[in-house]
Amino acid sequence: MSEPLRLLIAISGAEDPAFVGFVARVVAAGGPPVDLTLLHAVDAEARMLAGEGLAMRHAPWPAPSQGATDRRLDEADEAGAAALLAVWKERFEAEFPTAVAVASVVRRGRPEQCIVRAAEDLGADAIVLSARPGPQASEPGPRSVGHVARFVLDHSPVPVLLVRGSVRRSGGA
Amino acid sequence: MVITQPNADAPIAAGIFLVTIGLVIVRPRRLTEATAALVGACVMAAWGFVPLGGAVGNVLGHWNVLLFFLGLTGTAAVAERSGLFEGLAGLTARLSAGRPRRLMVAVVIVGAVVAAILSNDAAALVLTPVVYVIVTKFGLEPLPYVLACTFVADAASLALPTGNPVNVIVSDRLGESAVGLVPILLPAAVASVVALLACLLVVYRRQLPAHSPLVPAAGAWTSFGELPRPLLAAFSVAVAAFALASVAGVPLGPTLAAVWVVLLGVERGVGRRVWPLDGIGWSLLVFVASMGILVDGLSSAGVTARLAGIVLGPVRDSPAAVMTVSAGAAALSSNMFNNLPAAFVMADAVKSAGLSPASTHAAAIGTIIGADLGPNLTPAGSVATLLWFVLLRQRGLAVSSWSYIRVGLLVTPVTILAALAVALLLGVPR
Repeated sequence: MSEPLRLLIAISGAEDPAFVGFVARVVAAGGPPVDLTLLHAVDAEARMLAGEGLAMRHAPWPAPSQGATDRRLDEADEAGAAALLAVWKERFEAEFPTAVAVASVVRRGRPEQCIVRAAEDLGADAIVLSARPGPQASEPGPRSVGHVARFVLDHSPVPVLLVRGSVRRSGGA
Repeated sequence: MVITQPNADAPIAAGIFLVTIGLVIVRPRRLTEATAALVGACVMAAWGFVPLGGAVGNVLGHWNVLLFFLGLTGTAAVAERSGLFEGLAGLTARLSAGRPRRLMVAVVIVGAVVAAILSNDAAALVLTPVVYVIVTKFGLEPLPYVLACTFVADAASLALPTGNPVNVIVSDRLGESAVGLVPILLPAAVASVVALLACLLVVYRRQLPAHSPLVPAAGAWTSFGELPRPLLAAFSVAVAAFALASVAGVPLGPTLAAVWVVLLGVERGVGRRVWPLDGIGWSLLVFVASMGILVDGLSSAGVTARLAGIVLGPVRDSPAAVMTVSAGAAALSSNMFNNLPAAFVMADAVKSAGLSPASTHAAAIGTIIGADLGPNLTPAGSVATLLWFVLLRQRGLAVSSWSYIRVGLLVTPVTILAALAVALLLGVPR
């Protein structure tokens, strides 16, 4: 039996659920077994602004205790990321019934850097990600790929499967 | 009360002021803003720019403003402890029905109401983390919503005297009625909030998906029903009573302080045992009192009169021009240092310019618009934002300032222009 293909799949949460089936069709057909890791990156920028950043606002207003706010935000991050990954894990398990494993990983930082670093740390064979769906995403052109996908394409140490544009929903083709 | 010093001393007074503001912004060795301002005020007095009796008289003379901030920070603290903010955030979540765009609209509207009634800082500091929690439950990217909260906190803060310390300070020092400005500033605030919302929806049109990735159960949101009934009723009565008393011309400071004491009583009545002075903005009181003394020093050294001559001199006879120029000057100086000191200096400059009543009125409105909305250029005020990025780098987080500044650069001029257009329409006699 050949070595499993280790795929790092970036999940922002905004992906089209049909993305999962599409990846399954591209990757799994007759190939080696796959080992999937779903990665969700918590944007540290927003987290820091909601916590530390506001404490630096202009007026000497009595700020709520930083420790309590930080704890509350961390809990919210963790719960949100866990809930998000649980939903996507179920979708991937359904589409990849023969997968060796479907693991979930949460990282904090700039999403694009988290994805590239995780690919290095986890020894992934390839990164799979979806360009941000949106009104302009299905139109071809330089703006159809957001900055996260752009950065990953430019900096990834391994091959990248970028799903851009709308995915056909049919199961068999 | 103000002794005249030869104008040759103006650079010294200006130097004391600028060093103080520098300390307020940089906060070396965790020095608080209030301590820095207090030390600066003492130096200003010791140098002879403000006699000791004058300094004490200055603090006591602004009793109405100081009581106002005591009551405002106290009331906001009771609101925070009661879970009112969680209830409001739960309301935005329900209103949004899981549609990210609708959630954005709801966050902006609720943020605007909180900022107008309980101050911009209560909205930014207390509401933002609560909204963050809501947004993560929907599995959405938090950044657009977090920025919306910070921006709307300032954009809506023009609306009422309670919205921004600047509003009360400027009207107090210019002898204008803070309540009397509401018929102009409230519509101006509505215009600036609508303009902000339009900007946010355009900037984030790609980032807000049609549906939220997660659909939390209805029970995930705090409802107002979970708040103690008597406290909820007391808040409603307090808002109505405060509005009535303001219209009737009762001084705002004692009214708001009384509202706070009554709310504390009700809080105790529903069995919440807390130290009543928890959450009081002592540092805000010290800061405002010290700033008053510092600016009196600037005034007696002739600094503010000179500034007034430069900034307002050429336009003094046209109220519309005075309003526009003072809004621009207040917005710029708010970004150069900090909006509270900027408002103090602008107000004193306007006072020493000896403008006609119509021009003074216009200048008060312009200064409030500029000093309230100007700091939105960067969410933490320009210099503080730079420091914040340094802090983040120290923690190993390389964050690009671009995601804020690109929004701030758009939102700030657009909201100022929207508010100014309405204020010019309503506030300048023809």
